[in-house]
Amino acid sequence: MEGEHVIETRALTRRYGRKLALDHLDLAIPRGRIHAIVGANGAGKSTLFRILLGFLAPTSGESRILGRDSQRLTPGDRGRIGFVNEEHTLPRWMRVSAVTAMQRHQYARWNQQIFDEVVGHYHVLPEQKVSELSRGERAGFNLALALAQSPELLVLDEPTLGLDVVAKRAFLESLLYSNVTDQCAVIYCSHQMEEVERVADNLIILERGQLKNMSAPDEFRARVTHWVADVPFKGPDPRTVPGLLEVQRLDGLHHYLVLDQSADFEAFLRASGAKNVQSMPVTLDRAVNAFLAKNHAAPAAA
Amino acid sequence: MWDLFKSEALRFRAWTAAVAAVHLMGLMFMTRMEDLAQQRDFVHTAFGGLYAGLGLLLALYQMGTHRKASQWLNLLHRPLPRVRIAAALTSAGVLQLVVAVILPLLLVAILQQATTARVVDLRHWMLPLSALLVTSCAYLAGAFCVLRGPRYVIAALPLLWWLPTSNAYGFGMLAVELLALIWFALLLLEAFRPDLSAPPRGAGAIATALPLQMGVYALIMVLFVGMELVWIAQGSHPNNTATPPAGGHTEIEHADPRTRVMAGLEGSHYPDVLRLKERVQNSDPRAMPIPMPLPRLPQRNELSNFRLPEFNDERRHVRWVFSHDDMRLHGFSLADGSGRGTLGIGAANAPFPAIVAPAWTRQGMAGEDLLLTAGDTLYQLVLETLQVIPRLRVEAGEVVVAVSPVGEGIGVMSDRALYFYGGKPLLEGHELLAPRMRVPMPGKMGDLRNLDLIKLDEGYLAAFVYSARSASPVGTVPFQILLRTHADGRIETINRRALRFDYPALFRYRAWWISPALYAVRAAARDLFAPPLPLDVTEPAPIPRSMWWLAAVLSLLSLAGAVWRTAGTSLSPPARLAWLTACGLMGLPALASLWLMVPIAERSARDAIKA
Repeated sequence: MEGEHVIETRALTRRYGRKLALDHLDLAIPRGRIHAIVGANGAGKSTLFRILLGFLAPTSGESRILGRDSQRLTPGDRGRIGFVNEEHTLPRWMRVSAVTAMQRHQYARWNQQIFDEVVGHYHVLPEQKVSELSRGERAGFNLALALAQSPELLVLDEPTLGLDVVAKRAFLESLLYSNVTDQCAVIYCSHQMEEVERVADNLIILERGQLKNMSAPDEFRARVTHWVADVPFKGPDPRTVPGLLEVQRLDGLHHYLVLDQSADFEAFLRASGAKNVQSMPVTLDRAVNAFLAKNHAAPAAA
Repeated sequence: MWDLFKSEALRFRAWTAAVAAVHLMGLMFMTRMEDLAQQRDFVHTAFGGLYAGLGLLLALYQMGTHRKASQWLNLLHRPLPRVRIAAALTSAGVLQLVVAVILPLLLVAILQQATTARVVDLRHWMLPLSALLVTSCAYLAGAFCVLRGPRYVIAALPLLWWLPTSNAYGFGMLAVELLALIWFALLLLEAFRPDLSAPPRGAGAIATALPLQMGVYALIMVLFVGMELVWIAQGSHPNNTATPPAGGHTEIEHADPRTRVMAGLEGSHYPDVLRLKERVQNSDPRAMPIPMPLPRLPQRNELSNFRLPEFNDERRHVRWVFSHDDMRLHGFSLADGSGRGTLGIGAANAPFPAIVAPAWTRQGMAGEDLLLTAGDTLYQLVLETLQVIPRLRVEAGEVVVAVSPVGEGIGVMSDRALYFYGGKPLLEGHELLAPRMRVPMPGKMGDLRNLDLIKLDEGYLAAFVYSARSASPVGTVPFQILLRTHADGRIETINRRALRFDYPALFRYRAWWISPALYAVRAAARDLFAPPLPLDVTEPAPIPRSMWWLAAVLSLLSLAGAVWRTAGTSLSPPARLAWLTACGLMGLPALASLWLMVPIAERSARDAIKA
């Protein structure tokens, strides 16, 4: 397993009282490449990361990271796993140079060249205190620190949350131009689909603690199609529409977003009375949002 | 590790410097007004409490910020063993406390020794060390509580409470503080894990469970105090009723000396009892000054003072302060603070064999000379010649506890006997006096509640009441006994009468039946590194059988509760057996700690879905 997967879980379950955060999750993420994990709030992403890094015990099941039981990580294992969170938590009272020196002393495989390259994307001065950095500069500094550790696995948990457009672009460029995936696998957790589309080789969708999809982003996008039909009256009962993710009626036309439907879906629409039927591709953002919204919790009476 | 230490040390440097400056200024101000080294123990305890509060605040802030989920992950997810991370953080925290608390103390002590004639002994140099240990204990306790969460606060409380309630003194007290510090360090290390919600395991579970059980035990005791307050408010508490229960020890304790002695004579078959009653009615019984509870005897190198070892010579305007280092009194002028030499025993200025304290009375002494007690001897400080001479000496190994005039004589109480001396030779001479009579105590010193003395034509009448701790498990069955001494040395028992317990057994033994094992642990902890205290010796009443049954039933209930509770957990068989044993032995507090420490195993997700 050491050679094949950076992350592997088997029937991983975590409950908080009556609530299931992870539900018998089976996940195997191969080495190399950038893997995006997406899911609605409460899908279990943070719980998964906390279990994988040994900061939370599973209720049942197994989880391994870099081939090691995640509940038994050694300091050496932690040196092989980089982690960047959304808050870019760094000691605010320290100077940039001091933080850098501390990390350099602690990480045996510290790569000063990568650090200099990545931090060069930002206007960060060594004598500045962390508290004096803007959020974008802190994010870039944090990414530089994580990449310079030369990790075998880098976990980025919503690293661009709260960044403005410029800072977001700088962050993504420094990630992409670092050639980081030559040496390590990156787990990229985000709600920003345009980022996912840009950086990810593999799209993992979690929903209510279960694995719903693992494929290339384009493959997933291709599974969702957008049909526009000119159906008289109310159209077919939504409960009878195969693979339905979302239906809308705009300007007298019915718009259907459906999952895993072939050309047979056109026949279904025509059988339902549609006079004109057209299909078109969707963006990844729309596909993922429709997929996640399908089972979104709603009041019982709704 | 060094980097983390440096980072944390720098983090608080401004606050630390500010607190150190304010602390130093405060100490400098106070030391101009008072001799801070020579203070009563409650003053030093208050200082310790203040420093402990600082340590606690630092821990709450420092660990509170690190404990946030993202911060904790950032801190612990690095290629360093968690023990080294914990050591870096806590040693940086302790460094702040050294700078803010200990350095100002040391500086003030150095200044006092270098620039004044005040006494600065080895024990005073130990005070900053004790302050460091106490402050560090509170700091580690705070860190442990922050990381572990509210339910584990109960585990920290008894270890902290141990410090001001220990009977140890001097180096023994430092050992207690060090032991508590090590215990807190173990608790913190067990808590300092990536998964803060994980219950303690292995040796860490034992190190956590024991203080947690003591904490629950202490909370139950606090609950009993609350119930007693309600009892007092309700108006039927024996100590607060308008008329104490008839025939009980409270009635006797609250009576005036004459009534007390008269009550002791009731029911006596002594042939001369009527004349004795008449004599009591017409005399002025002298109550021996026994401060209640009995004070601790001063011990060499004790960190603080139960009683101040100093007194003023008003004639010369000099204050004499006892030094534990050279066992002599050191004088300094009350006017300008300059040194006025030392005082030892006799012309040779020999060191005292024990700690000196002013005697509790000097009534009747000529020339306003002062009486001093030190161990087994009562000394007279002759102000005219400024010499200390021994005047009375009790038997070797005994300690003078109280001195009181009785008629024209002097009564001296040691921890084991009562001595009578002639008053005139004491007042007029300077020689060492032999006692006219030695009366062995008819009970244990720790039980003595009242001692009333009456001078008879020939001899004395002494009325003892033994009930000092009869409201607790350590006290004796209360009784009153009257002894009469004769000029020829005979000692007769005039009467011995049993007094009733005023408090029901359920109340008296409340600290015991809740958990006999923890009751014993508490007593052992309190007396750890402490010498036997002669004034604390009692003759405990036998524990009633009903209390044994009650304790046994509670233990069985705890065991049954533990069997039921552990069935729903994921404890390993050895761990479960250990918990069952603990609940059987320690009773309800162990069961409560089981509830707090061991969560019910989560049902599987599939079960939850079915539910």
